[in-house]
Amino acid sequence: MNDIDARLRRCFSLTFPDLAASEIPSAEQSRIQGWDSVAAITLVTLIEEEFAISVDLDKMPELTSFVAIREYVSGAA
Amino acid sequence: MSLAQALEIIQSARGTATGEPFDAGLACGFTPLHLQTFFHAALQSRLTRPVRLHCGIFGDLIGNIEKFPAELHAGAVVIEWGDLDSRLAFRHLGGWRPAHMPDLVATFARRMEHLESAIRVAAARFPVAVVFPALRLPPAFFPVNARASAAALALEACVAAAAARLADVPGVSIVNRQELEQRSAAPERHDLKAELFSGFPFTRAHAEAAAGLLAELIVPRPPKKGLITDLDDTLWSGIVGEIGPRGVSWDLEHHSQLHGLYQQLLDSLSLQGVLLGVSSKNDAAVVQDTWRERDDLLLPRERIYPLEVNWGPKSESVARILRTWNIGADAVVFVDDSPLDVAEVQQAFPSMECVLFPKDDPAAALALFYRLRDVFGKDRIEADDAIRMESIRGAQEFREQAESSGERQDEFLKGLDATITITLPPPASDTRVLELVNKTNQFNLNGIRYDEALWQRMQAQPGAVTAAVAYRDKFGPLGTIAVLHGLQMGHCLKVTAWVMSCRAFSRRIEHALLRFLIEQLQIERFSFAFEKTAKNGPTQTFLAAMMGEDVARPVELDRAVFEANCPPLFQKVVTS
Repeated sequence: MNDIDARLRRCFSLTFPDLAASEIPSAEQSRIQGWDSVAAITLVTLIEEEFAISVDLDKMPELTSFVAIREYVSGAA
Repeated sequence: MSLAQALEIIQSARGTATGEPFDAGLACGFTPLHLQTFFHAALQSRLTRPVRLHCGIFGDLIGNIEKFPAELHAGAVVIEWGDLDSRLAFRHLGGWRPAHMPDLVATFARRMEHLESAIRVAAARFPVAVVFPALRLPPAFFPVNARASAAALALEACVAAAAARLADVPGVSIVNRQELEQRSAAPERHDLKAELFSGFPFTRAHAEAAAGLLAELIVPRPPKKGLITDLDDTLWSGIVGEIGPRGVSWDLEHHSQLHGLYQQLLDSLSLQGVLLGVSSKNDAAVVQDTWRERDDLLLPRERIYPLEVNWGPKSESVARILRTWNIGADAVVFVDDSPLDVAEVQQAFPSMECVLFPKDDPAAALALFYRLRDVFGKDRIEADDAIRMESIRGAQEFREQAESSGERQDEFLKGLDATITITLPPPASDTRVLELVNKTNQFNLNGIRYDEALWQRMQAQPGAVTAAVAYRDKFGPLGTIAVLHGLQMGHCLKVTAWVMSCRAFSRRIEHALLRFLIEQLQIERFSFAFEKTAKNGPTQTFLAAMMGEDVARPVELDRAVFEANCPPLFQKVVTS
């Protein structure tokens, strides 16, 4: 697990406290009940804080899974 | 605090916070998003109980206030311009035509009336804290930015007037705009990008600042009770033992105005009930001469008690002052210009707030003055506050004479010329009643603390009996010193809360109160919800004396048993 993974996992566990650690790498919006628009903004804000980046809001509709977000952050960080 | 830290506070409390949940409401017209998170975290960090937050529906501020659940412990209301007229909201395109302005001002005022009324109704049920609009008004007004528009001024005046009216309503507290400005600078508050995208208009920093202030108002820290100050180069400029009373100063002429401002602040604090003591390494006679010769001192001598002026270690003087006041070190601030003395007292009393007086640094001195206002701040000043010092001085004289009276206790009490005033029930606006219940440890039936909303609900129960007791004798008034709350069921009074200040011990006030209730309410039996705590030995001793046996849990006391064990009472009892 690399540094980005670990920091991203922390953002996920803060946003979705009921999500088991083992489920985070495969997390997808369509399969997590609490991943609504408020959670999505909370998650993005945590990512902005954690990685000191500004997430392009137009990209938000694409950031619907741990894998997609990791790819985005890897490119932006 | 970052958003991650706020979420960590909330999540860690899920495993550690215990007890009945603290139910708080948050009403705002926008989606609460991070404000909700920061508010939840700020409340949780001030409470050991779990916090449950109730938020309303996006877009309907007044509706959200009106739909606050009745069982809330507290509510928070965050108002923005768009809540009072949608033409002032950035997510609404209602037009900024100059011709709209008279109508906008009129609509705004009507909506403010409605909002004010909703807040008043909510505050009758539980405490409500309010943030008035803090963002910049939108560019809807025709003058250049440098010039205030009449319409904008009318809106601001409407807000200020409503805030001033609500600040006087019991149960309502208004977030101080100037304090908000200190914590969240105006240009850094608005996040238009977030507002347009998600409906949340605040930057994270502003959301955190507003949430923190709301939490401070809803769960205030208990105010400190006493301040111990040094004299030379602190209360006044100069060493009085060297230059004499006429040589010390506190004015502009001698470049010592900071000391005058400090005196002025202490004078004001003493009148709001803060205990003031002096610890000074000095010649006692010279200090007495200073107050005698310098009638321009802004802090009268009688506002200070006790005055510990000697050449011994300051920590010993401070210990004697604490014993006289009978309060803990954590309720006291110590102020001195000597780093050595500050360090010595701090080492002896780690929980005391010990502060260096920055005599050569006006900015630091101003920060200290604001800090002192904050730690001693209170919602309102009660009649008892003004007599606190007199009461402690009288209690000290009482103790000395009571001890010297030995076995002639009845004779001593008879000569006190004591009057007990019982208010049944005390007005809801009397904040001293709940304050006494929540801060008294020794004569306390069971140590249970109550929040304001629960206390209000208890008063409204059928059969509720609440008595507030004030006392005075030849040594002076003690103010309100006891509170009893119970439920009357026929001739039985179930007493669930009973406290009495330790300043009022040894006067048989507790006996007089029970006799009054027996006679006034035809009580034949008291049922006391007594629970032993680490500190309520005096309550246990009293109940044991009344029962004729040791007590360790809830007990019942029949009128006949009380009468058989009650010592002679000499006080005059009146009601108010």
